[in-house]
Amino acid sequence: MTTKIKDFESAIKELETIVKKLETGDLSLEKSLEFFERGVSLSRFCHERLEEAERRIEVLDERGELKPAPDDLAFADEGHLDPENKR
Amino acid sequence: MIDSFALPLGEPSEAAKTKQASPARASSQPRRIMTVSELTSEIRGLLESSYSEILVDGEISNCRLWNTGHLYFTLKDDRSQLKVVMFRTTVRYLKFQPENGLRVIARGRISVYEPKGEYQIVCRHLEPYGIGTLQLAFEQLKEKLKKEGLFNDERKKPLPALPRKIGIVTSLDSAALRDIIKVLRRRYPNAHLLIRPARVQGVGAADDIAQAVTQISTVPGVDVIISGRGGGSMEDLWAFNEESVARAISASSVPIISAVGHETDFTIADFVADLRAATPSAAAELVITRKDEYHDRINRLSEQLRTRTLMQIHEYRTDIRELEQRPGLSGLPGRVAILRRQITELAHNLARGSRGIHAIVERRYHALELRLEGQNLRRTFSKLLTQLVSSEGKLHEAMQQVAMKRRATLVELSGRLESLSPLAVLARGYAVCWDAKRLSVLTNSNKITPGDSVRITLHRGELGCVVKDTK
Repeated sequence: MTTKIKDFESAIKELETIVKKLETGDLSLEKSLEFFERGVSLSRFCHERLEEAERRIEVLDERGELKPAPDDLAFADEGHLDPENKR
Repeated sequence: MIDSFALPLGEPSEAAKTKQASPARASSQPRRIMTVSELTSEIRGLLESSYSEILVDGEISNCRLWNTGHLYFTLKDDRSQLKVVMFRTTVRYLKFQPENGLRVIARGRISVYEPKGEYQIVCRHLEPYGIGTLQLAFEQLKEKLKKEGLFNDERKKPLPALPRKIGIVTSLDSAALRDIIKVLRRRYPNAHLLIRPARVQGVGAADDIAQAVTQISTVPGVDVIISGRGGGSMEDLWAFNEESVARAISASSVPIISAVGHETDFTIADFVADLRAATPSAAAELVITRKDEYHDRINRLSEQLRTRTLMQIHEYRTDIRELEQRPGLSGLPGRVAILRRQITELAHNLARGSRGIHAIVERRYHALELRLEGQNLRRTFSKLLTQLVSSEGKLHEAMQQVAMKRRATLVELSGRLESLSPLAVLARGYAVCWDAKRLSVLTNSNKITPGDSVRITLHRGELGCVVKDTK
């Protein structure tokens, strides 16, 4: 199975489907190993995608020009961590 | 109507007196004859100065918006009617839609249209009776857009599971924006945010928001948009109830989360948007699942994937073990074991070069074992047998090489031995003479006295002799 992985969403869905199929159990060894390989690449893809986005805040002006956000916004989250973040 | 006609008939005396009195008074003064225009003009002056600022409560009927942009309608109650005109410049600022049957309060002045001798009220401000203007406008727009199907569920676009860029339309210096950023950073530290600042209240706010939404939805990579603002009065939030904003939101190809005000505030934007969030922070929570939750979920799935596959392999291995027990295949592990032992023995004897072969074969053997143990059972037996056959072949090769080497050594050694052997000389007629005890070979006659016994080895056989004399 070398089908291209479309996006994060479809990857996670496919991974769920594969696990479900494996759980039913009546697959040939060949097939389930194929699924296993596919599943491994899917989960790798998902982990990679989660890290892919670039931490950045930009501001779009009326003329459609992009510039970085002012510092007070870019660091709005820093300095006071809330309990949910302490882990 | 009957009453008003009945009144003069019921009290004739009063009415008659008045009627008679008027001509009498008029006759005492010079007759003043006015033109229609003069009268109308005078009436106009009287009316317009007396009723320059009035409030009238009535129900709208015959409401018509002309091509010129002016609005004409009639205000009525149960007995009277009053014509109303509203000029284009004021119509433009009407928040709600005047419609027949609607009870309103009109503010304005009386104006007389002299060419027709008609009076009407020029309305400068119109408000619904008993309900806030904004409230009415809200209800009307809501009804209108609903009829167009703009709130229908099938129009709602699903949010992406993992947005690439999150677009945000709100005021740049607002607490709402800070809240959104804070929540997003917490949930997804490396999220990419794109802010399109917009005025969210005051004159021109609605158009600004609408333009911002339209603009940001076309930026490549932006696959979800949060649009909104923090809490405020209905007037403060009003821009989000304007039609232009609703149209921009519904036209966006990118899903939009609307987050205006607090939990209890509902705006038209909320209804049109693909998702409504109670507050801006809530929108930030809806727009992206916590990153670690995603990681956990994927890890859980991977783990299930692994255990399920391993279980299945285990089942197949059990099957294979059963197969191995069958008579046709029962020799296989034994053969492997024998080969392995042979190889180990050989390894001790072989020179460095052939140790390499051993290592190779050993590695293959291990690889085979690993395959049996691990995941790659899929080519199972055919592969295993091929490997076996090939390692068997290699073994034979190695063994033959060793045997050949040994044979060659032997031949060489025996050649050399051959050349050293006295037996070869003896064959040519020489003999070896030993002392009596056959301990040492005699090479000098002075070690022997006549009468001593010696032994002589010939090519074939041996002689026992007594020495007669020495020289």
